[in-house]
Amino acid sequence: MNCTEAGMLVERYADGESDALQRRSIEQHLRGCATCAAKHQDLLALRARIGAEVPYFTATPALRERVRALLANAQDTAPSRPRPQRDRWGWLTGGFVAGCAATLLAWSIGTTVIAWRTNEGVAVEAVAMHVRATLNNHLVQVASSDQHTVKPWLSARLDYSPPVQDLASEGFPLTGGRVDMLNKQRVATLVYTHRLHTIDVFVTPESAPAPMTLRTVRGFNVVHATGSGMEWIAVSDVNADELTEFVQRLARQSATP
Amino acid sequence: MSGHVRFEELVLPHLDAGYNLARWLTRDVHDAEDVVQDACMRALKYVGTLRDGAARAWFLTIVRHAFYDWCERNRPAEVLKDDGSAIDMAEDHSSAGPELAALRNAESRVLAEAVAELPLVFREVLVLRELEELSYKEIARIADIPVGTVMSRLARARALLRRSPLLHSIRGRTSGGEQ
Repeated sequence: MNCTEAGMLVERYADGESDALQRRSIEQHLRGCATCAAKHQDLLALRARIGAEVPYFTATPALRERVRALLANAQDTAPSRPRPQRDRWGWLTGGFVAGCAATLLAWSIGTTVIAWRTNEGVAVEAVAMHVRATLNNHLVQVASSDQHTVKPWLSARLDYSPPVQDLASEGFPLTGGRVDMLNKQRVATLVYTHRLHTIDVFVTPESAPAPMTLRTVRGFNVVHATGSGMEWIAVSDVNADELTEFVQRLARQSATP
Repeated sequence: MSGHVRFEELVLPHLDAGYNLARWLTRDVHDAEDVVQDACMRALKYVGTLRDGAARAWFLTIVRHAFYDWCERNRPAEVLKDDGSAIDMAEDHSSAGPELAALRNAESRVLAEAVAELPLVFREVLVLRELEELSYKEIARIADIPVGTVMSRLARARALLRRSPLLHSIRGRTSGGEQ
């Protein structure tokens, strides 16, 4: 493959849209050609900057209100069904039971939605943090692959001591750590690498056990898990399966250091 | 399932996506609200034809149509700019940049402004790709263009952004970030 051919394919490759064959040949070319490799890096940097700096606008309250009104109007014009006649007692009891059920249902849905929203907010914040750290090259404040260096460094700066594991043997070497502000809290961030990818893992004391979730925010995968008394949020462009497995291993292994 | 319920379950979750697209196409809060409201009326009417699982792309297609209809009524000149002249115009803001770029704080606003200044055809493809994270194929379907055109417009959009005098700092940062 020459540079002209590579030039056409590099964009496709950076967008994750090339097939296995194209991927192999372009990766081979990028390893040997500094010019095209720089072009590729340039493209990734531009994409990361767009992701971090170009705002995603969410629907305004005014718009939501207008849509609600639209729906209400649409419903008013729908044909109404005649109500069945019932005796007074039956109606009252039925209403009472239905009322209770509705309240309970609303409450449980509300709580779930709030928890989901909160986690969503944290995930978005974590991705922004990851992008900022990557772009400014401020990935680690303490650079070490030795868990016995990173752990005391973090403990000295936080009111908890996060478990720190080097998973180099499984392809995820520890590069170091730093302290970030996430969700208005000081948190320990462990930095791992996997091949050419960087993984940020935000570790906080667990508030309540929760099932593992995977989200995609601006193209980054965000895995949220609890385990070993901690809450783990991993952010990376590593593919979802590998990242999930990695977080599972982290949360599990920490139990038996 | 009635149209009303289907709309609430399938379309309403994508209201943000629709608004984001409309906001980037119109570049105005109130115009974007008008466009999305119109799109919702259409979506409510045709929600019966929607297959499950494709709701976001379906709604974005409607928002885009609603935008172009709105644009023809309100900014007919912008639709016509879909040719080479748009590119020349986009490249021709040579002197506005340096003092803005000097302010690190203003940098993110600067990149957003550069995106907002892209000609319509490039802007819509870039927003669908980078903010909505849609695949080439989905973008092709929404914008009703061949996949090859999606790729060339996307490449053009990025080239324009990279060349924008507002954004020198990209290259400097990249060399620092390489491992």
